[in-house]
Amino acid sequence: MLVAGDSEVYGIALLTLKVALVATLVSCAIGLPLGYFLATRRFWGRRAALTVVNTALAFPTVVVGLLLYGLLSRRGPLGGLGWLYTWQAIVVGDVLLALPIAAALSAAAIQGVDARIRRTAQTLGAGAWRTAWTVSREARFALAAVITAAFGQVVAEVGAAMIVGGNIRGSTRTLTTAVALYTSQGDFGLALALGLILLIMALLVNIALQVLQGRGEPGVGGAGGTHA
Amino acid sequence: MLELRGIRHRYGGRLVLDLEQFIVPRGASLAVVGHNGAGKSTLLRLLAFLDTPTEGQVLFSGAVVPPHARASLRRRVTLVEQRPVLFRGTVRENLEYGLKLRDTARTAMNGIIGDVVERLGLAPLLNRRRHELSDGEVQRVAVARALAVRPDVLLLDEPVSSADRAAANALYQALAAERAARALTVCIASHQLEEAYRWADSIRALAEGRLSPVTPENLFRVDLPTGDGTKHVRVGGIDIAVMTDRTGPAVLAVPPTDIFVSLQPLSTSARNVFSGRVTGMSIEHRGAGVHVRADMGGVELVAAVTAEAARDLALAPGKTVVFSFKATAVQVF
Repeated sequence: MLVAGDSEVYGIALLTLKVALVATLVSCAIGLPLGYFLATRRFWGRRAALTVVNTALAFPTVVVGLLLYGLLSRRGPLGGLGWLYTWQAIVVGDVLLALPIAAALSAAAIQGVDARIRRTAQTLGAGAWRTAWTVSREARFALAAVITAAFGQVVAEVGAAMIVGGNIRGSTRTLTTAVALYTSQGDFGLALALGLILLIMALLVNIALQVLQGRGEPGVGGAGGTHA
Repeated sequence: MLELRGIRHRYGGRLVLDLEQFIVPRGASLAVVGHNGAGKSTLLRLLAFLDTPTEGQVLFSGAVVPPHARASLRRRVTLVEQRPVLFRGTVRENLEYGLKLRDTARTAMNGIIGDVVERLGLAPLLNRRRHELSDGEVQRVAVARALAVRPDVLLLDEPVSSADRAAANALYQALAAERAARALTVCIASHQLEEAYRWADSIRALAEGRLSPVTPENLFRVDLPTGDGTKHVRVGGIDIAVMTDRTGPAVLAVPPTDIFVSLQPLSTSARNVFSGRVTGMSIEHRGAGVHVRADMGGVELVAAVTAEAARDLALAPGKTVVFSFKATAVQVF
């Protein structure tokens, strides 16, 4: 079926890839700056904010799906968008699940960068954005792992996608919801084939991220004081 | 040019810097000396606008620096930390970092980098990365990187701590050349008094986060007992007589110029008379005379004498000497 180029299967795979890439992009676009902010700024309530973000890591996907269903349903506050049972709804659910991963893990990654890097960038005249870029470059391997983890979360997500996407054939059926469906129908061969596509997809994305990271270079050693 | 006023800076509730006033005059070559933990690095970070004082103000050119102006002033005041770090990339990329931030044209950039590279002997290192450099080389690159952005004020925290003699000389020569070429204000934190005397126009001593009222030799952390008048305070293997009403933790300072040096104990009013052996002699410093270091019961004391007096007494390492000073000469802060 895979070799023959079944159009339905490729449609499912393409939708899965589209949803995963958009959700990863959005969650990282919000989560990485949020993680940097949490790691480098001292403000009242910072510890509480970190606790909330870390707790959100363990948020059950079906609960997120349920809450989002309430929001997007016709009588919900966001019902006017008409996104329920669309791929956009799956993206929103995936973003909600991947955002804590992106924020919490990137905060940890940035905290792992020697504080002297940030001070050195500042003292050489870097503004806030350039300083953030310099610090992030130092943590790029860890941040690439964060992006990989976020992608892993959204590409493997099934609970929320099932609830807010509806697993509609030709419309919102993703690889994970399809695997769940075909398994429940007893079509293990098809479910396995789709699972294999999912694995290949994850592998290719990981390889692409590793290529983007470029050549490795040892980090800065020694104690560098605290992040100011 | 730079001034700290009414500074009380705390880390984790602990007071680490307590300064009424600290001024770095324009064009000065200033050294801040003190033991490890004296507060030198904290002082430099405040001067570099990298830390915000818990209490007090930082002034630049006589005006209080508001928080929103700190980032722009960092382009004029650059700090090289005690254990500097290089960014990911080659030495050349590190040297270009600050220049690119200033939108320096490529031709001008090459000229500036060529200049600092030549002054600090970095040409063989240009294409190396940080993990291919020794600590001393990293220090030199960090100083070159700071010099390349041509700051008005250069703050250096123990800049030669990892350097050998030749590298240290190259660094000081590079600084001297830069200061000869333009109005560069330099403030260096160091625990090496000899180095400070060699190049600095003026020296400030820092101990326990406070400025010493006198020169930085002979500073001792003590715990003063209760009572008035003359107190005898144990410092290492000797008891120092001091006139003070203060009690509790304090720093004693004995100005080297207030110590009499003799070969035999003298019959004087001095309450502090210690005998020991000369451990070292320094060359004559600018206006500071010859510094004679002697081991007095496990405590090193430094006395300042004229070159003529040193010759008359035939002072040399190993020779037995007597140091005398009055209890009132000992300053407490």
